[in-house]
Amino acid sequence: MMDGTIEALIAVTLVGSLVVMAGSDRYAAKLATAWSLIPLVGSLGMWATYDATGNALLGGETAFTSRETWLGLGPLPDIEWFVGIDGISMPLVVLTTVLVTLALVSAWTPIDERQSQFYGLVLFLEAGLLGVFTALDFFVWFVFWEAVLVPMYFLIGVWGGPRRKYAAIKMFVYTNIASLVMFVGYTALVFGLGDAVSTFAMPETAEALVVENVQPDALAFVGAETLKVAAFAAMFAGFAVKVPVVPVHTWLPDAHVEAPTPVSVLLAGVLLKMGTYALLRFNFTMLPDVARANMPIIAAFAVISIIYGAMLALAQTDLKRIVAYSSVSSMGYVILGLAAYTLYGVGGATFQMISHGLISGLMFMAVGVIYNTTHTRMVTDMSGMASKMPYTVGILIAGAFGYMGLPLMSGFAAEFYVFLGAFQAGAFDVANYNLMPAFTAVAMFGIVIVAGYLLFAMQRTLFGEFSLETDYEVGRAPLHDIAPLAVLLVLIIALGSQPEIFFEMIREASGPVADLVGGGA
Amino acid sequence: MAGELAFDIAPAIVALPFASFLVALALGNYMPKKGASAGIAATAGSLVLSLFALVTVAGGSTYQQDLFTWSAAEEVPLHFGIFIDPLSAMMLVIVSLIALLVHVFSLGYMNDEGETGLPRYYSELGLFTFSMLAFVMADNLLMAFMFFELVGLCSYLLIGFWFRQDGPPSAAKKAFLVTRFGDYFFLIGVVGIVATFGTARFVSTDGQTAFPVLAEEALVEGGHGVTTFLGFGPEAWFSILGLLVLGGVIGKSAQFPLHTWLPDAMEGPTPVSALIHAATMVAAGVYLVARMYGFYALLPTVLAIIALTGGFTALFAATMGVVKREIKQVLAYSTISQYGYMMLALGGGGYVAATFHLMTHAFFKALLFLGAGSVIIAMHHNEDMWDMGGLKNRMPVTYYTFLAGSLALAGIVPFAGFWSKDEVLYEVLVHGLGSAGTTGTMLLAAYAMGLVAVLFTGFYTFRMVFLTFHGEPRTETARDPEPVRWNVKVPLVVLGALATVAGVVNMVPVEKVLGIKGIDYLHQFLDPESELVTNLTAHHYGEVLHDVSGYTADATAFGSESVTVLVSAGLSLGLALAGVGLAYALYGRSPTPEEHTDKLGGLKTLWYNNYYQDEYQVWLASGLTLPLAKVADRFDQGIIDGVVNGVGRTSLTGGSYVKRIQTGIVTNYAALLALGLVALLLIVGVTGGWFA
Repeated sequence: MMDGTIEALIAVTLVGSLVVMAGSDRYAAKLATAWSLIPLVGSLGMWATYDATGNALLGGETAFTSRETWLGLGPLPDIEWFVGIDGISMPLVVLTTVLVTLALVSAWTPIDERQSQFYGLVLFLEAGLLGVFTALDFFVWFVFWEAVLVPMYFLIGVWGGPRRKYAAIKMFVYTNIASLVMFVGYTALVFGLGDAVSTFAMPETAEALVVENVQPDALAFVGAETLKVAAFAAMFAGFAVKVPVVPVHTWLPDAHVEAPTPVSVLLAGVLLKMGTYALLRFNFTMLPDVARANMPIIAAFAVISIIYGAMLALAQTDLKRIVAYSSVSSMGYVILGLAAYTLYGVGGATFQMISHGLISGLMFMAVGVIYNTTHTRMVTDMSGMASKMPYTVGILIAGAFGYMGLPLMSGFAAEFYVFLGAFQAGAFDVANYNLMPAFTAVAMFGIVIVAGYLLFAMQRTLFGEFSLETDYEVGRAPLHDIAPLAVLLVLIIALGSQPEIFFEMIREASGPVADLVGGGA
Repeated sequence: MAGELAFDIAPAIVALPFASFLVALALGNYMPKKGASAGIAATAGSLVLSLFALVTVAGGSTYQQDLFTWSAAEEVPLHFGIFIDPLSAMMLVIVSLIALLVHVFSLGYMNDEGETGLPRYYSELGLFTFSMLAFVMADNLLMAFMFFELVGLCSYLLIGFWFRQDGPPSAAKKAFLVTRFGDYFFLIGVVGIVATFGTARFVSTDGQTAFPVLAEEALVEGGHGVTTFLGFGPEAWFSILGLLVLGGVIGKSAQFPLHTWLPDAMEGPTPVSALIHAATMVAAGVYLVARMYGFYALLPTVLAIIALTGGFTALFAATMGVVKREIKQVLAYSTISQYGYMMLALGGGGYVAATFHLMTHAFFKALLFLGAGSVIIAMHHNEDMWDMGGLKNRMPVTYYTFLAGSLALAGIVPFAGFWSKDEVLYEVLVHGLGSAGTTGTMLLAAYAMGLVAVLFTGFYTFRMVFLTFHGEPRTETARDPEPVRWNVKVPLVVLGALATVAGVVNMVPVEKVLGIKGIDYLHQFLDPESELVTNLTAHHYGEVLHDVSGYTADATAFGSESVTVLVSAGLSLGLALAGVGLAYALYGRSPTPEEHTDKLGGLKTLWYNNYYQDEYQVWLASGLTLPLAKVADRFDQGIIDGVVNGVGRTSLTGGSYVKRIQTGIVTNYAALLALGLVALLLIVGVTGGWFA
């Protein structure tokens, strides 16, 4: 069956990308921004008419589903064109379209060369991201997954800062090797299932593994009993690079520091979520028994990412590096929530993906707006910016408090859900889960460190007498720089005070995952 | 219950200040008084509605209403709701009254002084008032936590109001960070309570039972519906949860050792100090303990810790107040000390006494801060008391109202502070005498510290009064102070009257000694007979304290109850008068007093430097954590990223060797292909067992 909605969404974005790239530099910015409204309005329309139930991989009814056999591979499982949306992917699709439009607007000031290529590549990136969040066949998904890397490589490598080539190559090679490891792990798992699956459709694999409880056969030199663990480890390693989880995070600060503002916004706002989304869909949905048995290790990775990432942010003096490292810390909460296997844990993790997308997007944009006029991001180079750029700074302060988890902003809702879910897991009658409250309490100390480094940085750069080391004239930012910040702030507050906007559908799709281990407590 | 008009319109109590926040933020620059008018109208409206609610509550009604759902997860739903009972109604009146007076006073302190950025100031005041009122009205712990945090945000913004200077932003940061450290524990406590009880409600509704009630059932009946964690039994686990929540209380209410932010917070505008100290930020902590007293009353260990923390803080802060030079610094330490008394009362089983002191303190401390603000205007923003003197005749309204506030703070009969402080000490004393074992001992120790602090309070308060208002003017400014206008005097007079007479709402000693029944109005008020709140009454708390925690009041230790009351009141009043007398002898008699505290020598240095509490906390942040972060950063750049780059380099170098086999000569490729095939066959053959 073919629904066509998702195909239209991706196709229109892709066409836009080609049109913009073929067009002139003069109107590329406005054209791309206007064009990006089509997928934006489209995704909002999909949200309005969305009618999915349950989890896409665990027997739920997806919305806008298309499923046709694409390539028959004889004895191997078939490849299908299979896309659809459930309560986990819907918010991510909306996040993508919203952030892309806002990022395009934020590019108007800083991007002044090869504009048609820049804006075209951003739309190409968007098409890839939409594919990642909607594909339900592993091969289709993997194609989109890899397709995202290509525009990202050029966006950093061409429009980036002084060390852009190093950063772009590092990002590309690092994440590509990770993809390879993950690919091998997953295909081994599917081949190990043998006749139990006839296609690469993810729901079929999930069903075979968790509903029918098929044990994969031995494959090559990997024994039957270790195949699941090995596949889990390979996939976890592969996705962890994308998230990123400490210790495979070092590509991220380099990429962020070199990337231009709009690219940083999309990198932190959406690309990192590919990693956690994949962890949720593959590792935690398909191999819950492995996740359960290794919960202390996974939770330890989460806690280390949170605390160590926050400590690294504390040591930085470049505003963008501070925000970049704080992403490492924030994404750790997602891992913690997933490891908990409670409704609030898994749902909160998903909610945190959305929330962090908005808040880190806001922070990168605000830092970018300041950089546009100061041409420096070093904390030590400026002070008293509040008196020069009152609106930008006002929104930056609000965003920083959002990052610190101020209630009535989305970050608090997400973190509270994760903490509550992780704590509740302590009541499971499963080995080691009684330790979860202790892991949670340690992880929560992240909220103190984040307040520390953001307040220190704000005090030094925003307050006090105005001074600036560089010789640029500092003036108020143009309206089109501030407008995307204001939109994000409104969204953050809306989601924080009325989290049910997304949390209702997220719960619908997260519940079945939570039930895999402990139940929806 | 429902249907009462006062309750139906209660959401407006919080909505009005929020509207004034938005209006002042968006339109303040175009409004007369730069947004103050919006704030004054909004807080006046809140005050009227709060009084309406208070009257309705006094008539025996209470009200709980869910407003909206924050998470509809079936098993553990989370929501926002409002709850109006005697405690919250009383607090609503206090908060909206102080907020209104602070707004009016700000006309004189900010507008008349030609400050800039006023729309920001008034919008932040509106947000502050809104957050505190919503916190007070919260019907569950999670919502309370949320607005508790927003109160912290507003304090940050207002303390750092003068952001172009260096001091205020630094003080603001410290206030937020220190209280955030406390809130870290509080948040674990909230998460733990929700996970344990499946609800955060303070008050039971048709669908859900309140968590203090569930806790009581679990402890008394070995109950149900309660999950404990980490292998603890219910009593130990509840105590841990209680202590975790207490972390937030200690931070916000500036109790030892998290009190260090509060004196620095004097960097903010003085009207803000009045609001923070009397009715919002600092009051929030103590109010929270009172709000969930049904939970704390079950936990004798936690109660004893609360009492000891309170008693110690009361004394500890009072000693530092003795040597300060600046008028606002003295008041800052007196705030810490006075909240210590409230904690002492809560830990000592005096729920009503704590609430009473919370109320009287709100009046007299707001009065003293606004009085100090008036003095500061007069002195052209010089706060050093040694530059003042002789202001008594030059600003009589300020003097007499400030004097009323000082007498209340010192605890001199019949001013409001006497009655409340006396009841605090009395309650702790009788529970200390009556309770068996370590509980009794700890309460008596806490009582002793609270009692000694009375002497210090009397002394530092009147040292401040004499230095500021009496004797000869010591500077030109003090000889010719700037006059203040009605907008300063009216709030002072209103608060002066309240600080003088507010004690009449609860003259328990008079009732007990003279046998006049029925004048303990506050006791009756906090003991409502509404079905909704049977578990939230002073009477119920008393029963729980006795039955579960083993708190017993022994009022007859000195013979009859009247004698005990008189002994307790005599002791505290005597010590207060001794402190005042000593201050008079040292600073009040001579028209040109000397700094007698210099004779304290090393002790003065210790007190003046606040026991070096700041130093170790600053060291924890910038001497320990920051270097640790730098080490982590070096480790990350050097080791972890070093390995990544190392792997990258190795493969690049390897690649440059390997690429040499790409010679472009076909025969070479053919040879390689053949070799490869042979190798592959060999491998397959060996592993496949062809040669076996």
